[in-house]
Amino acid sequence: MTLSVFVNPELQFSATTFFAKQHKGETCGANGLPLTPNSIILFGKAQFLKTLKNPYLCEYLDIIRGKHERTIVVSQFCGKPLSEYLGKKIFSDSDIIKIAFQLLTALSVLHKNKIVHRNLSTESILVQNSGDIKLFNYGFHYMTNNGQLVSFPIIKLSYAAPEIYLSPLKSHIANSKMDIWSVGIILVELILNKSLWSSLKLSQKIRKILSFYQCGTSVFEKIAREHNCFDVYQNLSAELKHIIEQCLQIDPRSRPTCEDLLKNEIFKEFKVVQRNNPSKVCEKYQIFTLKELYHWWKLAGGDIILELKKQGLIRSSPPILSMPCLVMLDGTVLGQGRNPATLYESKIVQMSLDTLYQRFKHIHLNFCYPLLHCKSDIIAAFDPPHYDTKALPLIIKEKDPEYQFHRIILFRRLLHGYPYTRDMIRKEVEKDIPPLLRGEIWAALLDIQPDYEEIYAMIDKETVTTTDRQIEVDIPRCHQYNELLSSSEGHIKLRRILKAWVHQNTQYVYWQGLDSLTAPFLYLNFNDEAKAFACLSEFVPKYVHKFFLKDNSAVIKEYLAKFSQLIAYHDPELANHLCDINFYPELFAIPWFLTVFSHVFPLYKILHVWDNLLSGDSSFPLHIGLSVLTQLRSKLLTAGFNDCILLFSDLPEVDIEKSINYSNDTFKNTPRSITTREHQNEEYYKTTEYDISGVTLNDLTRERCPRISATDVVDMIRNTPEKILLVDIRNPLQYSRCSVRNSINIPCSSVTYGEHSIENLGQYAQILKNSGDKIVIVIGSTDTDLELFPKFLLNCNIKKVCVLHGGFNILISVTPTVLVSQKFEA
Amino acid sequence: MEHTEPHSTEPEMANRQGAAQRPNGAQGKICQFKLVLLGESAVGKSSLVLRFVKGQFHEYQESTIGAAFLTQTVCLDDTTVKFEIWDTAGQERYHSLAPMYYRGAQAAIVVYDITNQDTFGRAKTWVKELQRQASPTIVIALAGNKQDLANKRMVEYEEAQTYAEENGLLFMETSAKTALNVNDIFLAIAKKLPKYDQNQGQSGQGQGRRLAEGDQGAKTPGNCCK
Ligand SMILES: Nc1nc2c(ncn2[C@@H]2O[C@H](COP(=O)(O)OP(=O)(O)OP(=O)(O)O)[C@@H](O)[C@H]2O)c(=O)[nH]1
Ligand SMILES: [Mg+2]
Repeated sequence: MTLSVFVNPELQFSATTFFAKQHKGETCGANGLPLTPNSIILFGKAQFLKTLKNPYLCEYLDIIRGKHERTIVVSQFCGKPLSEYLGKKIFSDSDIIKIAFQLLTALSVLHKNKIVHRNLSTESILVQNSGDIKLFNYGFHYMTNNGQLVSFPIIKLSYAAPEIYLSPLKSHIANSKMDIWSVGIILVELILNKSLWSSLKLSQKIRKILSFYQCGTSVFEKIAREHNCFDVYQNLSAELKHIIEQCLQIDPRSRPTCEDLLKNEIFKEFKVVQRNNPSKVCEKYQIFTLKELYHWWKLAGGDIILELKKQGLIRSSPPILSMPCLVMLDGTVLGQGRNPATLYESKIVQMSLDTLYQRFKHIHLNFCYPLLHCKSDIIAAFDPPHYDTKALPLIIKEKDPEYQFHRIILFRRLLHGYPYTRDMIRKEVEKDIPPLLRGEIWAALLDIQPDYEEIYAMIDKETVTTTDRQIEVDIPRCHQYNELLSSSEGHIKLRRILKAWVHQNTQYVYWQGLDSLTAPFLYLNFNDEAKAFACLSEFVPKYVHKFFLKDNSAVIKEYLAKFSQLIAYHDPELANHLCDINFYPELFAIPWFLTVFSHVFPLYKILHVWDNLLSGDSSFPLHIGLSVLTQLRSKLLTAGFNDCILLFSDLPEVDIEKSINYSNDTFKNTPRSITTREHQNEEYYKTTEYDISGVTLNDLTRERCPRISATDVVDMIRNTPEKILLVDIRNPLQYSRCSVRNSINIPCSSVTYGEHSIENLGQYAQILKNSGDKIVIVIGSTDTDLELFPKFLLNCNIKKVCVLHGGFNILISVTPTVLVSQKFEA
Repeated sequence: MEHTEPHSTEPEMANRQGAAQRPNGAQGKICQFKLVLLGESAVGKSSLVLRFVKGQFHEYQESTIGAAFLTQTVCLDDTTVKFEIWDTAGQERYHSLAPMYYRGAQAAIVVYDITNQDTFGRAKTWVKELQRQASPTIVIALAGNKQDLANKRMVEYEEAQTYAEENGLLFMETSAKTALNVNDIFLAIAKKLPKYDQNQGQSGQGQGRRLAEGDQGAKTPGNCCK
């Protein structure tokens, strides 16, 4: 039995297809770059349509680009076109008034968003079982940039306003008053209950419409007379007649707007109070949306292109047939013309949901309402099936319809309860993030301000500044393989966000790379620029604090020095090799960290990396960096300088999931203070006086092993003593007077450093050799050399060597209870 | 970003060449030269390198952050010349990183965009900086890139040529897109590099050094002779 929540007549969708106009030959834009394909421009422009949600509008779900500028539009599609009822059903006045109201409401939403339907007819009005209507395909003219992006006309002859026929062929204008005329014609058709001029030929229809310019009286009356329906006209209620006459004014300026018309008394009964959406991060609560259903449909094997092929809408012809007959030297191609009849397909292909129903057949209604707060054995019986999330590869999890069903249902509930569910969201994110809700989840993880829209609206994004040139040349180079980011809309949005950011962050400047850092946010929030900006604004202080200072050299150097230390800590052998060949992070890792890998990885990889980053802190990128080196380890170990650096010139195939797992591991297994930095943003770290501070950049770059804080050390002595090896390097006298319980004493003065051989340590050599995964904490004091000994251990390839910051004495003040004196022991 | 050069241990780096056995056993020279590309952002430095090294052109070439390193080998008569190329970031802010790359370079290509007068101005500044700060024997070439957009030209050929002559620079207009003069400019540099003047002095003048693979003597960016 399939759940009724899935089988709903309104949860249906269809696809239509057409070709965008092809550029002739290879032409360059003013910047020397090739012209953006029209299908890409269209793709970017159409995204906005997905945001329109209204009960009287079919929801746009997807835009797909096929080969050769083919564009496929996926949209909600339910009910039957009004045209099919004409002449077959009697429309009462109140039916007509209701349709008029709903139609005008839908149009007023469009007009408010500067969208003109311009293609309105009884075919694009879908009547539902309930008798309500939904407008379909209303964004066609809009997405084609008023018809400029296609080479066929977008027009419904009988419904087009007369001024459309008078305007020059390629003028591409759209005025909301054109729709009002069409509303008039539609209402006339409903009242006369027949389609107008149905027997006329194309040219006659146009002549008919143009003849209205000479018609001194009412257009409506003229139409009624010509269709032998003057009696219907005469008997019509005065209000309805008045509305129609207003719509059918020859002069567009005399036609009222939707808003004007809706004020009419006859619509009074339909007016309801509209509630505003109070939640910012997530939309008004529904168990799931059509968009999600579509997503699951695709995961369950649904394939729009395949369906269109089955229906014969996409035909492939042998390549030989599309060879041009003649190619001129300048690139002009002749004799390859596409049959104009195939440029536009009027057929609407309804998609079958049967496979999805089948797949979701066993899903219990309870699963739609996962319990968040209370658990009991009885209730647990209805918990979604347990998935071994750790074991499954990401790609499998993301492609599994049922798993994504449970994840999406759960996350949308959590998001709906945001910010009160913040901690639960964080916990769930540790498993994985459902791609469909990633934008919302990231925004929640970043804790963006609830009033982000107003904030963004008030920022100056226009004034010309000196950074403009750089932004201008960077945008067309920023992740341009991506359709959204390479579309004209994408460029405009990215430019505005970057300019807003530069304007808003006067302490910072635009560094090349900031474009890449912004790209993931824009990609995920393409229809909510303000949210993309808000995410960026929260991301920067948290993860790349001070990186974009005009003089960021100290910040970057500190970060790179910490990176070297982290490599030394986890992989001494590699660290030693890289050091030997002078292969410094400065030479290859600046773009990594400045852009948190957004300039080095393709988007789909960045998304997964950042999914994890957002649960971590600003040291996480260091671990990602380490994981990349680890993956290339064997190559790096055998390579010289040139080959090493060549490896990074274009980062080879990094297995991102491996990388993520590895970084999560090292991140969890590295005491926080190992990666503590002077320049980290204190707002995000709890600090105590026993933390590391006051280390100069010079010291830091000299010290090859990281320091560790007393807080961390004491914590480990208490909780995980089996995981540490404490090496006290003070002189034996000091050691015997007072030392940390279970520490060993290797007076640093007793060691011969000449050779890098652990055997130099005599009796303790074995202990260190077998230290394995233990953290080796070197404890000295002010009068011991704190660099030589750790460096010696490092050179001997001992892992996890770190130095207690503040030396032995700091322990006395932190917590004397971990200390012992040998005198007493003995 | 200001970074001190991390390679202070590096001895004088004039020109480096080493004799090597060719696979066929014939004596041939293998020379390595460190070459750096400088110039305003988006003039096409990375594109020129990509064209030279891989024979490709990417319309949407990513911008360069920090610097990128590539190598390419060309054959000149009986000599194999291996270029170690540092392609730098053009944005003014990354300027302070530049010395790290041009210090010790034997050749530099300063690139401007012929459709943008400002980038030519910036190129002149780079030339001045090189003349002051880089090795005195450095071979500098000036490349007026995007020659395929000549109909949008803002910098006249003659103007650039005169400037180049006055400053003793090699000069060519190039196009990474159509590959015009790309190999040529690198070859011209290879020819002009001092090995031809000192062909005989290879072992005598102490400038050529032969380093076996794995030699730890001198490793810096660009100093990796095999
Ligand atoms: N028409 C044309 N375009 C070019 C040519 N060379 C480069 N471009 C374009 O110019 C833009 C910038 O080229 P890049 O190679 O990234 O410039 P760059 O100098 O490396 O820039 P930075 O890395 O920012 O310093 C890219 O979009 C290239 O496609 C050329 O010869 N002709
Ligand atoms: Mg570049």
